[in-house]
Amino acid sequence: MDPIIEFSHATLGYGRKIVLNDISFSILPGEYLGIVGPNGAGKTTIVRTILGSIPPISGEVRVRSDSGGALRIGYVPQRDTIDYVLPYTVSEVVMMGRYRQIGLLRRPGARDRDVVKQALVHAAVDGLADRPFRDLSGGQKQRVLIARALATQPEILILDEPTNGMDLPSRVSVLELINELHHGKQLTVIMISHLLDDVANHVRRIALVEPNFFQVGHVDEVLTADNLSSLYQMPVRVHHHHGSTIILPGGSHGAQ
Amino acid sequence: MELSEIVRTILQDFPYALYGSIMVGIICSFIGVYIVARRVVFFGAVLTQVSMLGLAMTFLPFFALPHSIGALVVTLVSAVILSRMLTGKKIPRDAVLGFVFVSSIAARILILQKAPRVEASEIENLLRGDILFVTPEIFFMMVGAFAVAAVVHLLFYKEFTYISFDPESAQTQGFNAGIWDMVFYLVAGVVISFATHMVGDLFVFGFLVVPAMAGMLLSRKVRTIFALAIAAGIVAPIIGLFVAFRFDFPTSPSIVAVACVIVAGAWVASVVRGR
Repeated sequence: MDPIIEFSHATLGYGRKIVLNDISFSILPGEYLGIVGPNGAGKTTIVRTILGSIPPISGEVRVRSDSGGALRIGYVPQRDTIDYVLPYTVSEVVMMGRYRQIGLLRRPGARDRDVVKQALVHAAVDGLADRPFRDLSGGQKQRVLIARALATQPEILILDEPTNGMDLPSRVSVLELINELHHGKQLTVIMISHLLDDVANHVRRIALVEPNFFQVGHVDEVLTADNLSSLYQMPVRVHHHHGSTIILPGGSHGAQ
Repeated sequence: MELSEIVRTILQDFPYALYGSIMVGIICSFIGVYIVARRVVFFGAVLTQVSMLGLAMTFLPFFALPHSIGALVVTLVSAVILSRMLTGKKIPRDAVLGFVFVSSIAARILILQKAPRVEASEIENLLRGDILFVTPEIFFMMVGAFAVAAVVHLLFYKEFTYISFDPESAQTQGFNAGIWDMVFYLVAGVVISFATHMVGDLFVFGFLVVPAMAGMLLSRKVRTIFALAIAAGIVAPIIGLFVAFRFDFPTSPSIVAVACVIVAGAWVASVVRGR
């Protein structure tokens, strides 16, 4: 199986400012990859490079569909990048995910409305279709943004800090939805988060990101007490309990 | 003056004042909803000043273009530059707009001091625009600007909506936010340039902000917000002209004052409805 995303000795950054130096990894179809690291480590830089918003400074980044064409990416941004002044309804927001497919100078048709309806159902927000997006709770907004990403009929779903600033029930609900989409629809998923627990218990492969430290591998190989203590410059413990990974600050350095 | 006499005077002696102010009211109110939603309200004030700078520059020997064209050229160049600078991260938007605002006013004052051909007061009158003296030529130029803005917004409604709401996601779907922003600001620049020349900066800036506020206060649906803003943009000039004639007030301040009263009414209505 060929990778759909491949970083080959890529140096990433903005203009001449290097954020990540000489990183190599790939993502296969159907994978669920978590990208974790402290704030400002370069997680979003990786995503922006995948999205094509910034080119690699050097090296190569290949993003291609299974079919060899352009990869259809469903992107779920951080909620605070969205402007809430105008009260667009949930349906209108999800329809924005269709705008690329609809094309220039054309209006949404019956097929677009069907796709939007399905996306709303998948994300369990069909009951909110006529509500203004800005009036929703954080968890509901996140589900709507996931529905909008689904409306693009993506081959890969990329979520940037999807549970940031949410209460526990909303976090669990959003993470379960992402799991369902990954397993049920066989979607390739990349989830970026600085919340280690969220990622550790849902993904199989993880990328640990810091400017001078980049490691990709199985969760158990990467999320070790030594790695995390070194990354965060403080003692960190990693416990496994009934199949769940629990990450805690402090304690003995190497505890597992 | 009685109502019938005022109506007759306006329709017979100043028809283009009525038609022109309604047209500017409609188009500025429509574009104003986007401008308020994008949180670049000061952009409207800046472009009106830039347009006046362009008009003042036409009094210089090396830039001796027709007034409207000079204003348009300078406004469009500024709109392009602003659209790039407003997306930059180094300097806050407000600071960029403030810089262009004060530099336009300063440059205009300096140019007028050295304008060789006419009295400064005449130039100021020309710069300020006067609804009552709208000529058919300027009116039909405004019709052209109105048509361009309407067609562009009708054709690219989806793109402007997405870029305003969530530029980052729009970019990931292949919409070049920088290009679409530039198209939006260029169209706004064309409208603001002609409208400022026709009815003055107070009217234009007022209608880029005030009717949009009325729409936002009264409705929770985007289409209705646009419709209500446009309705306010039609009603305020009609009532404002009547008030100006009835009480012998200057026209632009009367019209903007009526628009402000409409917003005050909308605010009271929204408070009463508990929104």
